[in-house]
Amino acid sequence: MQPSVAPERVQIEDTSEQDEPDRPWLVIVWNDPINLMSYVTWVLQKLFGYSRAKATKLMLDVHHKGRAVVSSGTREKAELDCFRLHGYGLWATLTKSD
Amino acid sequence: MPEFIWADEEGLRASFDGHERELLLGLLNEMEGLLEEPRRGDVVDQRLFPDAYDDEKDAEAFHELVGDELREGKRLAVGTIKDRLKGRGAVEMSIPEDEIEAWLTALTDLRLAIGTRLDVSEEMMSADIDPEEPEGAALSVLHWLGWLQESILAEITD
Repeated sequence: MQPSVAPERVQIEDTSEQDEPDRPWLVIVWNDPINLMSYVTWVLQKLFGYSRAKATKLMLDVHHKGRAVVSSGTREKAELDCFRLHGYGLWATLTKSD
Repeated sequence: MPEFIWADEEGLRASFDGHERELLLGLLNEMEGLLEEPRRGDVVDQRLFPDAYDDEKDAEAFHELVGDELREGKRLAVGTIKDRLKGRGAVEMSIPEDEIEAWLTALTDLRLAIGTRLDVSEEMMSADIDPEEPEGAALSVLHWLGWLQESILAEITD
């Protein structure tokens, strides 16, 4: 009889999954001179359900610091968020956190 | 100037004079042309469909994955406004609540296209427009579209 290899496989999968939450993917919105501040705030509220205060703070970070992390999570979630931000015309990118 | 007034269950009530209507329709027709197919070398296309990743391969894969759907969404938004504006002369209309997002996103895409083509900076955006400058007319349109957007946002946010 052949020995089962299943336990080893399970272990490998477990390890990779445990790594995920430590280094999430970050969605970054970049400053641009065209989009209105009021519009960017509205999009962040609408898309992520953020309060007016939180969305305004993020928008001001984008405006003054040139960029802000607006959401994070698995790569799939970050790609979906980025896709939706592009739909609203915001300049968004994603990157794995350090 | 067009006016937007929140009218509860009716949605947003809007009025355009004939000139404004023609101007916006003309811009939307141009935008439809820009959205027909990918033009990856063009700066406006690159702004409307930005690279999601620094890495070239990942960026390209992302474009392949979502590019068509994004383009279709933007086209639909443009079509939604065009349907409300078609015809000539002054017009009053009701924009149902579920169409407001299409107005805001399509106005954004128009502004991004014009602003990117002009290569505007924050200084240019906050400076007075010099009508003698060659880009004066386009800048005026850019600010007009921004004014429309602000008016809508003012009516739908507390």
